Amino acid sequence: MAHKVCLIRGDGTGPEIVSAVETIFNAAKVNIDWIEVEAGLKCVEAGKPIVPDETIAKIREIGVGLKAPMTTPIGKGSVSPNVTLRKKLELYACVRPVRSLPGVPTPFTNLDIVIFRENTEDPYAQIEYMSTEHVAQSVKIISDSGCERIIRAAFEYARKNGRKKVVGVHKANIMKIADGLFLKVFNQVRLEYPEIESWDNIVDNQCMQLVTKWNLYDVLVTLNLYGDIVSDLAAGMMGGLGVAPGANFGRECALFEAVHGSAPKYTGMNKVNPTALLLSGTLMLDHLGEHDARKNIEGALEATLRKGVKTYDLGGTATTSGFAEAVASELKG
Amino acid sequence: MMTLHGVDVYIRHPEIPDIPKEHGTFALIFISMRGTRVTLPLPPGTELVDWLQCRYFSETEVTDQQVDELVSTLTGLGWQWTKCQKLFMIDGVNAFSQPY
Repeated sequence: MAHKVCLIRGDGTGPEIVSAVETIFNAAKVNIDWIEVEAGLKCVEAGKPIVPDETIAKIREIGVGLKAPMTTPIGKGSVSPNVTLRKKLELYACVRPVRSLPGVPTPFTNLDIVIFRENTEDPYAQIEYMSTEHVAQSVKIISDSGCERIIRAAFEYARKNGRKKVVGVHKANIMKIADGLFLKVFNQVRLEYPEIESWDNIVDNQCMQLVTKWNLYDVLVTLNLYGDIVSDLAAGMMGGLGVAPGANFGRECALFEAVHGSAPKYTGMNKVNPTALLLSGTLMLDHLGEHDARKNIEGALEATLRKGVKTYDLGGTATTSGFAEAVASELKG
Repeated sequence: MMTLHGVDVYIRHPEIPDIPKEHGTFALIFISMRGTRVTLPLPPGTELVDWLQCRYFSETEVTDQQVDELVSTLTGLGWQWTKCQKLFMIDGVNAFSQPY
């Protein structure tokens, strides 16, 4: 039986990389019933909200979605479609795996880290005020329940996937109450997972250690703003945003997405790298229980990269569709 | 110029508080949690925290006394609030964020 999955084709180069993923999934004979839902600039241009309520309801009903990058319109009152989806669907766990890929040389050999970023609290709640004409304030919200669900998600992931270490990342030496609550909950939850080695790190030290001792780390769990920054740092260590996948999980649904933007200046040029969305798609296949399909597609991707078939961002000359055809050929062969 | 137009009252309550929808010139324009509007019925999977941002706003300028009266009314009705934040406009532009 086909898996039902909501599909957002996205803005800018989004539709091109979705087509590439479809080509590869078809070659892998993955049985997906794509249900297209609207979001992004097209909605705004049609006078609708950037993420219409029907889209939210459909993703909630189906429970799984794959999302290409979307563009946040510039201007007063504009909102991010990505943040809207995370907030409206209460996708509290942003999961960003980073690992070395063959044919994508970086100084960070044998990189293999999974970052769990809390997705609903922290300054990302975006509650801000001008308290006087000269002073602005931003409210940092941290709740014990919000901390517990993301920390538990990280430990559960580690337990299910044979990961050995979980590190809680915070700044509780300075924000003793807010980040202190995160640390307190981390230290409570970790006791329930004695088979997993765990400790905590201050976020600035963690960043330094990531680029000097990356092999020490396995699973990181952190608050929203730190997670935003650390996960992009880690994406750079992997080879750039063009190859970095992402997933967002809530209690009721999951949404898989490339973490890069819509790259509007390359729209229609058949140029951008579809790897990030493809790897997001393989994370989705794992979530759907299609473990063999994930393994096959990732194997084909790695074989393609090993042969030197790469898009411009990795120093190659392959087009988006050409790269997809090369991966598809590996699957057919 | 900075003008006063309302107040965000952060109420400590385990559910969405059934607070007055209006008070004088103020209208309750939303209740939010972690920066996201919440309305009944809550969607499946929503986990409420017990700290709800309740925005009372007036299109016309209000006084500090009107804000005091609104907050006193909520206190009198038994609502426990932990923080109030006045909402200003600066040169006619909102000087506060909107929830999702």
